[in-house]
Amino acid sequence: MSGSLRVVHYVNQFFGGIGGADQAHVGVTVKPGVVGPGRLLETALGDGARVEATLIGGDNFVSERAEEASRAIAAELDRCKPDVLVAGPAFGSGRYGLACALACKVAQTRGIAAITAMHPENPGASSARREIYIVPTGASTTSMPAALSALAPLVRRLGRGEPLGPAEIAGYMPRGIRRVHDRGRPGYQRALDMLLDKLHGRPYRSEVPYAAPERVPPAPPIADLSRARIAMVTTGGLVRKGNPDKQVSANAVRYHRHAVAELESLSPAEWEAYHAGYFNHIVNSNPNYILPLSFLRDLERQGKVGHVHEHIYALPGVSTPVAVSAGHGRSIAADLKAGGVDGALLVAT
Amino acid sequence: MISAIYNFALTTGANRVIRGARIEHVCGDPTLSPEKDYAFGMRIVTTALQTLTIAVPGPTLFDPMAPGKAEETAHAS
Repeated sequence: MSGSLRVVHYVNQFFGGIGGADQAHVGVTVKPGVVGPGRLLETALGDGARVEATLIGGDNFVSERAEEASRAIAAELDRCKPDVLVAGPAFGSGRYGLACALACKVAQTRGIAAITAMHPENPGASSARREIYIVPTGASTTSMPAALSALAPLVRRLGRGEPLGPAEIAGYMPRGIRRVHDRGRPGYQRALDMLLDKLHGRPYRSEVPYAAPERVPPAPPIADLSRARIAMVTTGGLVRKGNPDKQVSANAVRYHRHAVAELESLSPAEWEAYHAGYFNHIVNSNPNYILPLSFLRDLERQGKVGHVHEHIYALPGVSTPVAVSAGHGRSIAADLKAGGVDGALLVAT
Repeated sequence: MISAIYNFALTTGANRVIRGARIEHVCGDPTLSPEKDYAFGMRIVTTALQTLTIAVPGPTLFDPMAPGKAEETAHAS
């Protein structure tokens, strides 16, 4: 190998020794050699690598003036031409995590390998894990030694221009990339081995990655229903009779909002279900089964519910990717909030 | 969220889950007389509305069909 690996290290104002949150506005500066955790990084990297320079950026500056910060980082990378950029570790610090992700992206656009490390729930990780290499760490700086020893072998390989291998083996966060390769044994054998391991209580690992559902904090309770504005949403595929809006029956890329301010209930002469995931005929005889407008109107008349919201929201909730559904949900929720809605009933088939 | 397949709703993170009748007729039951069908649907809908007035720690099931009281709660695993 010719010469040692040339590393540039990106840290924030705190790790760069400039100051705490009161100094988060400072721009991007450069110091030759190592600063702060860079010493430990250099030790972890061993004799074959040297931190040539340390880039220090104020967290607020970098997040608020991303373009200016990117230009400053790019200028220094162009001047130093390192083999690899290391950013962080940022642990659980959100703005620092975003800044590390930005520094890595800037390096990559200039053909320089880059890697960072942070807690998996850091917004920097959730926003950029598909684009950059991120080594997962603990939430606090106490995990610095573990983070740097996990980073070091990957930094060396990236710096030498070597591929990293699959995320779960190399130890970085999955980027959602699939590569076709030969596992050596056919699927039915691997599946049976997995089943036997499971039945015998031995550890096993599924080849189908499990995406845990997003946890949403429960909405606070409504103090007084008799003054509340209540909306209704259905994923039962409710459409106007004859489907004039041309909604699909599955994998909906859009939902529809309908005005019901003038309606007492959903009449089967005017509404029906168009949904590929269940037997629609019963709903076609009484659409209130999937959108209970008739009940809410009665409760509104009795004074038990303040107002029935003037719009309903409908889509067929079948064969729709979770990410698309989450987008529909966010959009409907934003619309409900803007409409002054206090609570919503979502009927799912 | 009112759903007949309430376990899906609980495991995917819905916080207030109300057990519906059947997938094909979530808020009611057409095999009942019109009066009983209406009363049954109303029981499901009022249970759902009541859950909006209750603080929940996370995914929680409310069962309008549970014997005894209208809202029998059970927390997801």
